[in-house]
Amino acid sequence: MGEKKDSLEDPTKQNQHVGKQLPDNPDIDMQFLSAPIKSAVDKYQLVPEFLKVRGLVKQHLDSFNYFVNIGIKKIVRANDRIESSLDPSVYVRFKNVRIGKPSVPSDGVDDEICPQFCRLSDMTYAAPILVNVEYNTQGNNPQKTRFEKNDVTIGRMPIMLRSCCCVLYGKDEAELARLGECPLDPGGYFVIKGTEKVMLIQEQLSKNRIIIDSDKKGNINASVTSSTEDRKSKTVILMEKGKMYLHLNMFSEKIPIMVVMKAMGMESDQEVVQMVGRDPRYSAVLLPSIEECANKGIFTKQQALEYLDPKAKRTYASASEKGALPVLRDMFLANVPVRQGSFRAKCIYVAVMLRRVIDAFLNKDTMDDKDYVGNKRLELSGQLISLLFEDLFKTMIDNVKKKMDEIMGKPSRSSRFDPAPYLCGDSITNGLERTLSTGNFNVKRFRMDRKGMTQVLARLSFIAAMGHMTRISPQFEKSRKVSGPRALQPSQWGMLCPCDTPEGEACGLVKNLALMTHVTTDEEEGPLISLCYYLGVEDLELLSGEELHTPNSFLVIFNGLILGKHRRPQHFAATMRKLRRAGKIGEFVSVYVNEKQCCVYVASDGGRVCRPLVIADKGISRIKEHHMKELLAGVRTFDSFLQDGLIEYLDVNEENNALIALYEGEATTETTHIEIEPFTILGVCAGLIPFPHHNQSPRNTYQCAMGKQAMGNIAYNQLRRMDTLLYLLVYPQRPLLTTKTIELVGYDKLGAGQNATVAVMSYSGYDIEDAIVMNKSSLDRGFGRCIVMKRYSAVLQKYENDTQDRILRPDRKGYGAKHMRILDDDGIASPGEIISPQDIYINKQSPAVTRGTRVPPSELPNIGYKSSKQTFKGPEGESCVVDRVALYNDRHNNLSIKFLIRHTRRPEVGDKFSSRHGQKGVCGTIIQQEDFPFSERGICPDLIMNPHGFPSRMTVGKMIELLGGKAGVSCGRFHYGSAFGEPSGHADTVEAMSEILVNKGFSYNGKDFLYSGITGCPLQAYIFMGPIYYQKLKHMVLDKMHARADGPRVLLTRQPTEGRARNGGLRVGEMERDCLIAYGASMLIFERLMISSDPFEVQVCRICGLLGYYNHHLKTGICSSCKKRDGMSTMKLPYACKLLIQELQSMNIVPRLKLAEA
Amino acid sequence: MDPPPEQVNYICGDCGMENTLKPGDVIQCRECGYRILYKKRTRRIVQYEAR
Repeated sequence: MGEKKDSLEDPTKQNQHVGKQLPDNPDIDMQFLSAPIKSAVDKYQLVPEFLKVRGLVKQHLDSFNYFVNIGIKKIVRANDRIESSLDPSVYVRFKNVRIGKPSVPSDGVDDEICPQFCRLSDMTYAAPILVNVEYNTQGNNPQKTRFEKNDVTIGRMPIMLRSCCCVLYGKDEAELARLGECPLDPGGYFVIKGTEKVMLIQEQLSKNRIIIDSDKKGNINASVTSSTEDRKSKTVILMEKGKMYLHLNMFSEKIPIMVVMKAMGMESDQEVVQMVGRDPRYSAVLLPSIEECANKGIFTKQQALEYLDPKAKRTYASASEKGALPVLRDMFLANVPVRQGSFRAKCIYVAVMLRRVIDAFLNKDTMDDKDYVGNKRLELSGQLISLLFEDLFKTMIDNVKKKMDEIMGKPSRSSRFDPAPYLCGDSITNGLERTLSTGNFNVKRFRMDRKGMTQVLARLSFIAAMGHMTRISPQFEKSRKVSGPRALQPSQWGMLCPCDTPEGEACGLVKNLALMTHVTTDEEEGPLISLCYYLGVEDLELLSGEELHTPNSFLVIFNGLILGKHRRPQHFAATMRKLRRAGKIGEFVSVYVNEKQCCVYVASDGGRVCRPLVIADKGISRIKEHHMKELLAGVRTFDSFLQDGLIEYLDVNEENNALIALYEGEATTETTHIEIEPFTILGVCAGLIPFPHHNQSPRNTYQCAMGKQAMGNIAYNQLRRMDTLLYLLVYPQRPLLTTKTIELVGYDKLGAGQNATVAVMSYSGYDIEDAIVMNKSSLDRGFGRCIVMKRYSAVLQKYENDTQDRILRPDRKGYGAKHMRILDDDGIASPGEIISPQDIYINKQSPAVTRGTRVPPSELPNIGYKSSKQTFKGPEGESCVVDRVALYNDRHNNLSIKFLIRHTRRPEVGDKFSSRHGQKGVCGTIIQQEDFPFSERGICPDLIMNPHGFPSRMTVGKMIELLGGKAGVSCGRFHYGSAFGEPSGHADTVEAMSEILVNKGFSYNGKDFLYSGITGCPLQAYIFMGPIYYQKLKHMVLDKMHARADGPRVLLTRQPTEGRARNGGLRVGEMERDCLIAYGASMLIFERLMISSDPFEVQVCRICGLLGYYNHHLKTGICSSCKKRDGMSTMKLPYACKLLIQELQSMNIVPRLKLAEA
Repeated sequence: MDPPPEQVNYICGDCGMENTLKPGDVIQCRECGYRILYKKRTRRIVQYEAR
């Protein structure tokens, strides 16, 4: 005791020593050094404000809103007229399109629905697509034949939750609760047939941008994937053996680029050279290409086209035009428009591509990096659905047109033709629903065939759902063995989370968005283009080739299209930025000056990732103290910061023109921007880790994966949900050591873990290899106790012969009564009853004959039914409870019943637990509290962790968490551990926490003086003990343990079945077999491979070596090929071997057995 | 011989009203028209084991 006091006081003294005495030393001012860097303004408050405005899944919502409000209108406007091909004056015209309120049709009326209802009753949360149509039915009839019809439903569009069409839009917490919705749920997913579907963010290479790359042979090429509203093509200009060629799908072979130039009317070689650049090095590289063209004798446009015409593929030959010119016009660099037959813009584009190729040839540094985030676009659900809708809409139009012609073709048709019924088909509804529910995008019109685009939203834990919404699925297939795309890219900084990526094959390919990332949507191009011209961009049409690349003038490239050149690029960029900050142009327009390429890139396209930053003038932040005060007072919002030009969004490209200081104090005069908060570089999952910057990096990655498996609260409405599988923690807690991210995403409200008092010591030997020793009394008190809810459903099917399933009253007496105890008189199990394996939960019967002649259900006798009761198959010896039983009519109007069966589990040996630092372990043993070590204060740990877990993993963050948690419980406040938070005060320092510990009478280092629970003697060492937030992971022994002595076999091979679900056998695999062979345990191998598997007795003919059969009358074996009785031997071999022999025989291969005396 | 079947009640998922159902009925609350009904908790005595 006395000793312990000393040890407690010593550090106190030391601490004071450090704090007070050193300042006397003139050389080192410790207080100054240890004080947080003086941050003029704490800008943290902007983060919650940002998330309030933009939300965590704002990118999904924005994208979908854009589609619903603008995109769908554009599509309909582009295809607004259906004309009969027989009589063009008969037409249908779409005047307007809008999305109605989410509803479901029932008896001809639309019932409004809410998402929770759809989830429970397996419906699709969709809203009608309403169009206003105008149609003319009777050609050039003088009578008034123009009709109008408003709000015709052409289909149903699945609605993203919380989008502007959703009933949840703009609702407050109370209203959401009334609709059965969780206020913390982010939305951004769809409900299709009752399942929640997320459309993953798709990563893609930029469209319409020149990308310089080298192919396998090391040839440099410049490729452009052009994508316009009606055409898609890929144009590649590559340099092979010093000559330039064009590669285009529509040409059967590669074509010298100079021929293409000539075909486009650029007959003068000099002009081409001028366009590429007058530098003699450029012309030197270009010379072989020019020579090649001249050698082919092509000097004029006519000659060039004659050369190209036979090479143009026939597949692209429209009815009116043939040859190479339309290919060049429409498919070659499809994103560059040809106006009034002028190919000049395309020629200049080619020249710029050539210039970049030559640049790359002369200087390898100018090669583009495909993994650079600025060269990527993220495709979101809005864009994908818009593609899908366009395809379905066009198909519908084609069908209507066909129908119209059909009707017009009839000699005598009824006077009025109403197109409305043809518009109202199910093709759009079904197409959208099917694609979203399977995730297979197969849009032939756009040559798109991708699988797995949607996934069922992971509802294992709240964080799993959140993490799922920010996930980015890769463009590459996972099998590619290249490291480039998997590596961390410096340009990901602040945009994509550096920690959150899966392990294994998808490592580094699947990424997650960081906390403040925003993904842009398309912006109107017209006004921006005219603005550029207005700001002094010289039009391309007016420039000669010579003027194109004059020194000090930069090309202005807008969304991949060359607008012209500007003589004062920096001034132009500055003006554009000023206009953006003033709110005159969209906040997501990016202006990027590339000095190397002498280009100014202006981008307004969708799918760019960007993030907000504080603007600084000459290193002085524009945000002042009073701004933040106004924000706290509620006078300001995030948007007003944007509008006032204090904050702006930068995309990855524009970041290259900025010098961003991490903290205000670090800004120099060159600084243009200041970070808002450093911890926002992490995503949602990594944000849960306290002190992640003290951990070894892979540990944070492991935790990101494990946080998604932790049990806890799922949503406020978790008990009203009916998921197929639901894991809940009985007593979830909020972490004692929080981070700012935790508060922002709501993990403190929907936690997934418990604060366990952990003693880091060795105990009992059941704690090796990361196993945990658990306190039995803690388990009694409810530590790690969880609920597993499983859903079982039953449908009363209607059949084509008018019969249908029925539910019977249960037998109260007799044979089956034992298993029908929990049934009510309606034949359905009632909630609250204990259900054990083999119990029947619905006493259903199905008709024996379901096809053929119609039988009214009332006339079908009892014999006509066969029992199809459903029995519960749960874990043996455990007591499960029927939690809820819901009845509803499904989409086909069949009665459906859902049973939710609840099972409460306490931790047992083998259950998996993990802290928040990638330190997982299974429960090794459960020991009585009496045998547990305890401190003088009577504190007894909940679990004991082996200290060997620390040295190799280097999870210092976990130790600091313990320290902070201990300080937190002793002083009664939550401590913070935000990433990189110490300088800004969002993470408590170890010094501060130690001081609290000392003040509360603990040792500064978190170690306690413990007594052994077994002997009562003090332990030899001080034990590092304190609370750490522990997660219970979904992997539990009960779901996995499996053993079998005898059991089912596969019909074909007569070998034991495979897998736990089929009560399968345990396989002695190849490697195990090798071990046994090496050891020489031949009888063991024989037993495992034959006796325990599929032994079979066969008759073998010693003469011919073929298999015979056993004649039971004659009691001998007979060879069926020799027809002889003698010479037969009986032997045993695996049934699979006999099967193989017979299968070989069936394909005319004769295996013969040669027997020898054994 | 058999005792007459006991009436089984169902609770509306929206308004909480008790409903009775006959075979072939559309599942809908008579009071508010909500289309999901829940079964009432059992009236038998159940003894759970608290471990």
